[in-house]
Amino acid sequence: MIEAVGPIKRKFAPWDDPTLKPFIRFENVTKRFGDFTAVDNLTLDIYEREFFALLGPSGCGKTTLMRMLAGFEQPTEGRILLDGKDLSGIPPYKRPVNMMFQSYALFPHMTVEGNIAFGLKQEGMDTSNINTRVAEMLELVKLEKFAKRKPHQLSGGQRQRVALARSLAKRPKVLLLDEPLGALDRKLREETQFELMDIQMELGMTFLIVTHDQEEAMTVSDRIAVMNHGIIAQIGTASEIYEQPASRYVADFVGDINLIDGTVTAVDDDNVTLHCAGVDATIVAEAGAGEVAVGAEAGFAIRPEKVQISLEAPPAGTPNVLSGEVWDIGYLGDISVYRVRLAGGSIVKATVANLTRIVERPITWEDKVYLTWPADAGVILLK
Amino acid sequence: MVRQRLLGAAALTVALATGAAAQEKVVNVYNWSDYIDESVLEEFTKETGIKVVYDVFDNQDIVETKMLAGGSGYDVVVITGPFLARQIAAGVYQPLDKSKLPNLSNMGPEVTNRVAEYDPGNEYGVDYMWGTTGIGYNVEKIKAIMPDAPVNSWDMVFKPEIVSKFKDCGVQFLDASEELIPAALKYLGKDPDSKDAADMEEAGKLLASVKPYVQKFHSSEYINALANGDICLAVGYSGDILQARNRAAEANNGVTINYVIPKEGANMWFDIMAIPKDAPNPDAAHAFMNFMMKPEVIAKSTNYVAYANGNLASQKFVDPAILADTAIYPDKETLANLFSTTPYDAKAQRVLTRVWTSVKTGM
Amino acid sequence: MAERWTQDVKPFLAKWALVAVPYLWSLLFFLAPFLIILKISLSQTAIAMPPYVPVIGSLGDFWAKLSDFTFDNYVFLTEDPLYYSAYLSSLRIALVSTILLLIVGYPIAYGMARAPKSLRNALVMAVILPFWTSFLIRVYAWIGILKPEGLITIALQSLGILGPDEQIHVYNTETAVFIGIVYSYLPFMVLPLYAALEKLDATLLEAAADLGCPPTKSFWVITFPLSLPGVIAGCFLCFIPIVGEFVIPDLLGGSETLMIGKTLWAEFFNNRDWPVSSAVAVVLLIILVVPIVIFQNQQKKA
Repeated sequence: MIEAVGPIKRKFAPWDDPTLKPFIRFENVTKRFGDFTAVDNLTLDIYEREFFALLGPSGCGKTTLMRMLAGFEQPTEGRILLDGKDLSGIPPYKRPVNMMFQSYALFPHMTVEGNIAFGLKQEGMDTSNINTRVAEMLELVKLEKFAKRKPHQLSGGQRQRVALARSLAKRPKVLLLDEPLGALDRKLREETQFELMDIQMELGMTFLIVTHDQEEAMTVSDRIAVMNHGIIAQIGTASEIYEQPASRYVADFVGDINLIDGTVTAVDDDNVTLHCAGVDATIVAEAGAGEVAVGAEAGFAIRPEKVQISLEAPPAGTPNVLSGEVWDIGYLGDISVYRVRLAGGSIVKATVANLTRIVERPITWEDKVYLTWPADAGVILLK
Repeated sequence: MVRQRLLGAAALTVALATGAAAQEKVVNVYNWSDYIDESVLEEFTKETGIKVVYDVFDNQDIVETKMLAGGSGYDVVVITGPFLARQIAAGVYQPLDKSKLPNLSNMGPEVTNRVAEYDPGNEYGVDYMWGTTGIGYNVEKIKAIMPDAPVNSWDMVFKPEIVSKFKDCGVQFLDASEELIPAALKYLGKDPDSKDAADMEEAGKLLASVKPYVQKFHSSEYINALANGDICLAVGYSGDILQARNRAAEANNGVTINYVIPKEGANMWFDIMAIPKDAPNPDAAHAFMNFMMKPEVIAKSTNYVAYANGNLASQKFVDPAILADTAIYPDKETLANLFSTTPYDAKAQRVLTRVWTSVKTGM
Repeated sequence: MAERWTQDVKPFLAKWALVAVPYLWSLLFFLAPFLIILKISLSQTAIAMPPYVPVIGSLGDFWAKLSDFTFDNYVFLTEDPLYYSAYLSSLRIALVSTILLLIVGYPIAYGMARAPKSLRNALVMAVILPFWTSFLIRVYAWIGILKPEGLITIALQSLGILGPDEQIHVYNTETAVFIGIVYSYLPFMVLPLYAALEKLDATLLEAAADLGCPPTKSFWVITFPLSLPGVIAGCFLCFIPIVGEFVIPDLLGGSETLMIGKTLWAEFFNNRDWPVSSAVAVVLLIILVVPIVIFQNQQKKA
């Protein structure tokens, strides 16, 4: 069982408050390695006490961005501000940020205690204070019994905790977490995600996490920046990113999505009409980000869980209906995924929550089915 | 004859590898390096059909260790008198079958009789070559530093006030206790062959007194060093210094080297051929020894290495210039002044080595 | 029965045969020669082949001649300060050389480990490359460099640092011995250090920097402690053979460079005293092995 600690989470949205100054600011930051541009003219604000995630596939520049904040890399152009102060020229060992490394980077020749105390010793803190702080940290990560062990005598999860305690020990203004849970198994990872959130709340620090795991980013963070090829594709809360993806890239990277291509035939205040010749259908939906004009090539994006699947044809005149036959069924326990083959041969996925312990499904292979969805369930995204 | 102990060790391993392999008619010979005209070996093979496996050494301490361990695989070994005597006592060699050595009649009595001191009755060995241990010097440099230098006396190297003058132009001594201690004893007016510990220690004291002026104790470096003009004074073997003289002359580098047998007397040593008891091819060994006693053969080697041989009949084939060179074939008077040493027993050897270590290291 | 053989006995034997290999190796190439040397060290010299008594032909012989064995040779070593000084001098030269090797080798190994990955193999090759030339020739080459009219003197003269009549007098001194030893043994120091440093995770240094540790300090608190296994291996690999080194002091050193290798040579070849030289060797072995065993036990406890 996990015990709830710390205050109950309240709504927290400093980015919506125009009077607040950002705590960390990346200002037109570019980083090139030879011919390769890892970060491309990127500007990003992160607020105090925020739990911020950088999400993207490997090579998207998220780790480079974090390493520039830690001071391991220097921006080719632009600058990074922390609490209003320009960090350029300040070496890593003088920056008030600490990092938890993906590999944990625990000092193998030091005990757990020694690892946690390392940063404090560099500060010149006196021994009794160091001992108190180390004890606190050990308690925080529940490793009191392992203080005298060396890293190689610990399990993966325990090592992860030592790394966390070490990076927190100095009470940095900002904690950087580089794929912190990547090496843990799924169960432990989920538990630890919530623990991280509790610790962040309790210590009131700013956390910046780098991850390629969208679930992790969505679970722990207040806001997520989805990165692609050195630029930010979208910034927003987890639900904003998921429900209102700004681009096909974001829609595709975060969660599962169905994309149906077509041509815009009409645009009014709220809705866009899309003619999808490939599947022989017309779809009306809200426009996503960007100006949508008549005649533009666009796509309709909808999450599989928002698609309803039915054996019976909806009443005539119901908008947004697709029909096809069940091609494949995936049973995942909590849900089942239906892969429906449309007229033109393209596949649309629909997920259905398995609410009962039925063995026989009402809808099965080769059934002719109708797919419908609420008017605001999907979004039109430009190509 | 370059006496170089490390290369000698390398040659030894070659000898081990080749010594045992032979099945056809072969003779395995073990001699000092640079000590033969190698065309002689080809002639031997042409004449007898016996292949010569010729290995060389630079340090006879190694040879002795090898022979004492046994099973060396050599058929003919060339070794100096005191070593031969000790090894005969240890049972290393077999008596010669003189019926197979008709050329023994070519040997002269002077050398044969001296060799008999080590090998009573000449039962085991036949002289190959002989030489002296004296002083080599750079004529121009010595003249420039000390015009009236007593070049024909041991004073040159054993009198501190004289040898100190040559310190800066370079002085080297052989790293051979059995040469330097007898020479020092002779200089001190004692029996150069003395095995008395107090005598040897006194000789050691004399050597220690000139040690600060000696750049190095080494048994082969002085050849090149003299020839190149790097050093100007050396105590060394006659043939080696004469080789340095020839090299300097060939290089035409303005260096003139001279060798003298000091007037007080010098060591006369003999390199003697003998056949190990466990020689794999004793017949071939006898054939080889007999061949080497052919006057024209040994004369060819003498002409090549600039050492004298004990083969009286060979003298008409020896280059007249070499025969006339008193540094190689000393005159009667000088010959009378030369001394020889007998083997050191284990106890005396230990004293000798200890005195020598003390000379070199001050310990 | 046959089944039992294949199932239980055969794998058991196979396993033990494998374990036995290193023991057999040590027995054959270390213990047996050592016992022979030990036996000779308890014998007495003789003019014979081999030059000592008693000679043991069989095991029965051994018991019969047991009373002929003597510790005289060991007693003799204590009677002449020569041996004591030679051991001390060898240990001193080995210790100084090992420290010099560490000082010279560490930056080289460190540079290699920090070099781009594509370059590292080439650098390792460059360290090993000199081995392709005979050791003896390489040491001889130093004579040409160090001798008074050698390359160093020529270089310094042409640079005007030395006058035309001045020379560098390093050859035939202990300094030349140190130069030769450091040059010859450098790969034995560099390679274990490199292996240790190359394994070192560079993120550990980033972590140290991240926690407020400047680079020079992180070298001493992170890099150096973590390279200690390489430091220890390199020091042992160099120190032990240097103590017994013979060739380098013989070629480059002056006659006063006293080392146990030279003393052993003199006992064996000049004095032909196999028993005393064996005793010198046994004592040398004890001097080297005992501290190593103590050290290893300490390591196991730590």
